[in-house]
Amino acid sequence: MAMTLTNDARVIAPEVTLTTLSEDVSSRVLMKRAPLWWWCGFGISLALLMVLIIQMAVLFIVGIGVWGVEIPVAWGFAIAEYVWWIALASGGTIVSALFFLTRSPWRSATNRIAESMLLSAAPCAGLMPIMHLGRPGFFYWLFPYSSVMGVWPQMRSPLLWDFVCLLCYILMSIMYYYAGILPDLATVRDLATTRSKKIFYGILALGWRGSVAEWRNQRIVYAIMSAIMAPMVVSVHSVVGLDYAGGLTPGWHDTQFPPYFFFGAIVSGTAVIIMLTILVRWGYSLQNVLTEYHFNAMAKVMLVGSLMLAYAYVWEAFGPLYGSDVAARTEFFHRAFGFTAPVFWSEKILTVVVPQLLWLPAVRRNQLLLVLISAGVVVGMWQERFVFTTSSLEHNYIPSYWGHFFPTLWDWAALAGTIGLFLTMFFLFLRFAPIISLAEVREVIEERRAG
Amino acid sequence: MTQSARTYWRTLEELAETPEFVAAVERQAPRFRDIVHAFDRRRFLQLMAASVALGGLSGCGPEADQRQLLPYVEQPENIVPGRNRYYAGATLQDGYATGVLVAHQMARPIKVEGNPDHPASLGAASATMQASILELYDPRRAQTLFGDGRIATWQGFVGVLHGRRERLMASNGEGLRILTGAVTSPSLAAQLAKLQQQFPGMRWHQWEPLHRDNEAASALRSFGQSADRIFDLSKADRIFAIESDLISATPGWLAYAQQFAAARRPAETGGTMSRVYAIESTPTLMGAKADHRLAMRPDEIISALRHLAGLLGAGPQQWAQEETAQAAWLKAAADDLAAHKGRALLHAGRAQPVEAHLLTDAINIALGAVGQTVKLIAPVEAMSGSKLRSISELAEDMAAGKVDTLLILGTNPVYSAPVDLDFVERLRLVPFSACLALYEDETSAACKWRIPATHDYEAWSDARAFDGTITIQQPQARPLYGGHAAQEILSVLLGDPTPDPYTLLRNFWQEYAPQEKREDFEDFWHKALQVGIVADSASDIVQVQSRPDAIAELPSGAAPSNGTLQALFRPDDGNWDGRYAHNPWLLEMPRPFTRLTWDNAALIAPNTAERLGLKTEDVVEITVEKTKLKAPIFLLPGQAPDCITLPTGWGRSGGGLGTGSGFNAYAARNSGSPWIAQIAAIRKTGETYRLATTQGQDRVLGRDLIREGDLDQFNSHPDKPLTQKKADSLYEPFQYPGRAWAMQIDLNSCIGCQACTIACQAENNVPIVGKDQVLAGRVMHWLRVDRYYSGPADEPDIAFEPMPCMHCEQAPCEVVCPVHATVHDHEGLNLMVYNRCVGTRFCSNNCPYKVRRFNFYAFAAQNERRPESWNPEVTVRGRGVMEKCTYCIQRIRTTQIDAAKEDRDIFDGEVMTACQQSCPTQAIIFGDRNNRDSAVAKRKAWPIDYDLLDDLNTKPRTTYSALVRNPNPAITTNTRPGNKASNHGDDTDE
Repeated sequence: MAMTLTNDARVIAPEVTLTTLSEDVSSRVLMKRAPLWWWCGFGISLALLMVLIIQMAVLFIVGIGVWGVEIPVAWGFAIAEYVWWIALASGGTIVSALFFLTRSPWRSATNRIAESMLLSAAPCAGLMPIMHLGRPGFFYWLFPYSSVMGVWPQMRSPLLWDFVCLLCYILMSIMYYYAGILPDLATVRDLATTRSKKIFYGILALGWRGSVAEWRNQRIVYAIMSAIMAPMVVSVHSVVGLDYAGGLTPGWHDTQFPPYFFFGAIVSGTAVIIMLTILVRWGYSLQNVLTEYHFNAMAKVMLVGSLMLAYAYVWEAFGPLYGSDVAARTEFFHRAFGFTAPVFWSEKILTVVVPQLLWLPAVRRNQLLLVLISAGVVVGMWQERFVFTTSSLEHNYIPSYWGHFFPTLWDWAALAGTIGLFLTMFFLFLRFAPIISLAEVREVIEERRAG
Repeated sequence: MTQSARTYWRTLEELAETPEFVAAVERQAPRFRDIVHAFDRRRFLQLMAASVALGGLSGCGPEADQRQLLPYVEQPENIVPGRNRYYAGATLQDGYATGVLVAHQMARPIKVEGNPDHPASLGAASATMQASILELYDPRRAQTLFGDGRIATWQGFVGVLHGRRERLMASNGEGLRILTGAVTSPSLAAQLAKLQQQFPGMRWHQWEPLHRDNEAASALRSFGQSADRIFDLSKADRIFAIESDLISATPGWLAYAQQFAAARRPAETGGTMSRVYAIESTPTLMGAKADHRLAMRPDEIISALRHLAGLLGAGPQQWAQEETAQAAWLKAAADDLAAHKGRALLHAGRAQPVEAHLLTDAINIALGAVGQTVKLIAPVEAMSGSKLRSISELAEDMAAGKVDTLLILGTNPVYSAPVDLDFVERLRLVPFSACLALYEDETSAACKWRIPATHDYEAWSDARAFDGTITIQQPQARPLYGGHAAQEILSVLLGDPTPDPYTLLRNFWQEYAPQEKREDFEDFWHKALQVGIVADSASDIVQVQSRPDAIAELPSGAAPSNGTLQALFRPDDGNWDGRYAHNPWLLEMPRPFTRLTWDNAALIAPNTAERLGLKTEDVVEITVEKTKLKAPIFLLPGQAPDCITLPTGWGRSGGGLGTGSGFNAYAARNSGSPWIAQIAAIRKTGETYRLATTQGQDRVLGRDLIREGDLDQFNSHPDKPLTQKKADSLYEPFQYPGRAWAMQIDLNSCIGCQACTIACQAENNVPIVGKDQVLAGRVMHWLRVDRYYSGPADEPDIAFEPMPCMHCEQAPCEVVCPVHATVHDHEGLNLMVYNRCVGTRFCSNNCPYKVRRFNFYAFAAQNERRPESWNPEVTVRGRGVMEKCTYCIQRIRTTQIDAAKEDRDIFDGEVMTACQQSCPTQAIIFGDRNNRDSAVAKRKAWPIDYDLLDDLNTKPRTTYSALVRNPNPAITTNTRPGNKASNHGDDTDE
């Protein structure tokens, strides 16, 4: 496949060759004993995962009442975090699929990290709405299966579209990941020294032998899937936005939600990828594969995302202020200047103001600053999701039924727990699958040599 | 429920006499055959429980356990599963009866409705009446008889009492005291009279903490004789209310409220309506409905009344010259009243001092109201006299050691008696004390003997209504917890060691029934039981000699309070005097103004609170005379300045659910100042206490929720309504060719009494959630009554707005449910399919009216309720599902089935929702909108009918008619600022 990669030497350090790359990356997977930092990180992740399991046990045994949700604020942390997680996942797809289509050279080394992140975040997103149900055991009633009662899901509900989209998205993401990693699994299999690892990766590699026909098919499938995934992630996140836009609630009933959510996904997804890339680079000493070039490029993406988000924020204010709906205007005033004002304004600062530092090239190359800015963006995005989910419900049409949402310990446990699930999964990806796409980086090296 | 479907039994034996029944008993329970034939009432009741009443009731009594229970082999006639049978009865408050019909399903009482034939109900049922069914079943009721701290038996008690009787006989009854609440029961009164004969030294005392002593005392002085006032609001074109409880608590208030509302529906009365002035220190329902309302301190009320008396010629001319607040306002009101002589009415509430009542009487006399809007009847109570004096004398005698045997029957003086009487300490000095109480309460804990009492629905008794009408109460169930009635205890004292309440009552009535009825006594007895009233037993109007000079002796006007704080002891709207403090529904019932649940609070005007540096939930220590009281503060708009209202009836102890809720206002109430007391000091403790209100914001914040206008506007522009409708949809609307169920709520009629909320809770198995969950925003009431203020916080306009489900034709909840759990039916009902609900709660988010409720926990399962007390016609919802108002679909379906069986249409009014049925003012009307002659269609044709939030185009089936006030054009001062059409619309948030 004709890749028009740039010859920019900064994409990859000159000392990296095909052999060193394969051995470097594969050895991380095949090493007998994981490094200490991995165990520490994995241990913390598992501890947080335990929090999730305990939280779920309490939630399912005692009832949804252990959370702070109430009437009027019937949606709380779970839905806000669902949107937050799905935005992070979507960010992974954007980096991986969209920039594949644009042939961006920096994408080759980071796409596996992005996809691993996406696969780790998607279950967290999927778990949230199920935990949030009053009767979680019946979540499958949203699935259009042919039951003897002849009752189908209600097709007009955005929740149903949401359910279908999320399901398709997760399935597609798994296949996309697998299609991409297949040749790398074969490499690991070939380099494996123990029998058990040979069998394990042998099965996963599905008998890949590296023939031209195989490569050709793999490249075609991968390109087609990228072409599907890129628009799909836009639609998935837009449909999540329709959960709100379709709601008859002041502050939600707004057509800007689908793009607004997508902008948020670009910013927060990139932010997480930046943080994870730095972790991988540092942990696996892959400084020569993951170079400043990558950080520079991703920081630019984040900066563009935050500018788009700023545009959405202008509309967030303009809509209710320009419109004639008293309820929507009141709701916006309360959102911006009421009880939630500190959360509202710190969210704007973290997601839009602080990322403007990325205009400075020095900042884009400073990994410490990048981590701080990215962490701020991720926290800010969480705040944003939280504020517009609850504030709108708190300030509904009937003032007598205004209320406030106060999260409980179990709400926080659900947040901490899903972070645990995310990290656990990501650490497993780190340990058991090549975290750099060997096939694609090889192409970069080949391009460089050819160039 | 239909009129025709009601089957009353008159007596138990009528039921028992049917041959099928006797045969069935013989077959199924041969050992009881003889008992049935013997017609022994008491045995029959037991039999009924064991053999007829199915599992529920029969599991309750101790005897039942030892017997064999047999199921039906053949179904007895007239007990049809799923069908309600109604039995007449009465609930009592302060001794006064209100008639009820108790619905039974399979012989279990499940729901209380008002008795349309009873003058105090006219079909309506208040919140407390509705809640009485839960009290009947309350597993926390007293169940064990204690003597000297040990578990004892009834026989043991009878033996001891009988022994005392012998000694008392010897001493002529010296030292025997009986303390009751207010007594209207002719049979109980006759027993007491007989006791007095047998024991000349005995004394009968009475105590009601929320007594009406001042009303009684002023009647005696104004009319020269003891008399009760009854009112005719249908004739009252002008009402002047002085902190009036006329439509909230006075005996007969349900009937008064109906008359009151009927005169205030201009669309029905041809453009006329009454005009109400109210002056009050703390908001009342009457004040909320008033066209002109002023918040006044108690001293200002007296001077205002003197001023009014001077202006209307009821008092000395110079009174009209005295300095008073709001003189212009009073002048305008006086002119208006004077122009309606004979059709005006003044009413003062029970908490007003005797001067206020005397002035009220004098003005009523001057306005020619007596005989027109106010009528006098002989006192309904058997012993009318001052309750306060009565209990004070008892306390003095106890202290002096003059009391040797004290029977306390159905009143709770240790809790509620004036604190300076030191009742509990003095009670300990009494050698023999016995307390008959429904719950283990403060008094029973201090008595030597405590006897569980029967509930109103378990006893054979009788009682009179506000107008004297007598109801003979038949038991709705046999005593669930082995209770006994006051009549039984008095019978023992009279020498009958094995009293049988039924025989006692029947024998009494054979004597007491009117002469002409005695010949056919059976017929009289059956009719009285069946209908729920003794025909023609209302008291006659007495002609009185009005004494307008009664006020001549009044001291000159009350001294102004000069900014000193006063404590006002006022009845709580749910707990009343404390008797309902353990009732879960009433504990969780939002109070009309504060919307508080599970607690009372010291109510204070916002301005006064600001002056004192207090805010809601601050805990203060209030010193009244020698007692200190800790109470949380609650800011109440419309409260008079410098007055702190302390609602009574809270801070109970004992075994009931209300134990520990709220503070006990009686702890600061002295016999010298039962209603108004000077506050010596108020101190902020620095603590805070969380109060659970159910209302988020007090104002409409610019939304078009309460539409309001005045009568002139209504009359001058009948074609240009106070309201306007928005454009329709672009799409072809769904057609409802058959029936279209719909509801109409008249905001002008709604007085905010909360009866509908509790009626709905009772009918639809709505669980309570507890204070923590109310605080967490999870209260479950399907129907709430929103209360909105407009105008300044110290003189607000107050509006009530009942909020059931709107059953929108374009329901926003339905489109967002992913699983079809909420759907529409062909008659326009917005249905909730509990079994299908997975609990996404999107429907609640999307409901603009916020009428959906979610089971965050398994609330119903957690409720401490006997299983048989739930309504079997309505699903009890489990954890994790949404629920909401169904327009009482079970009632609709029952009626539809009836109509289908009889091959006829449903009559208008045949289906009544529970809220509609209980509403005393007919504010809620339900029916088929497609039937042009239906009441609901007629109301929806009113020009002032409007949709709530109509710009959302949800097309609600529940619509509202605008609030119409009838202001006096002569009153233009700023006392009621902005009294214009869009009062509520003017309030914006920012």
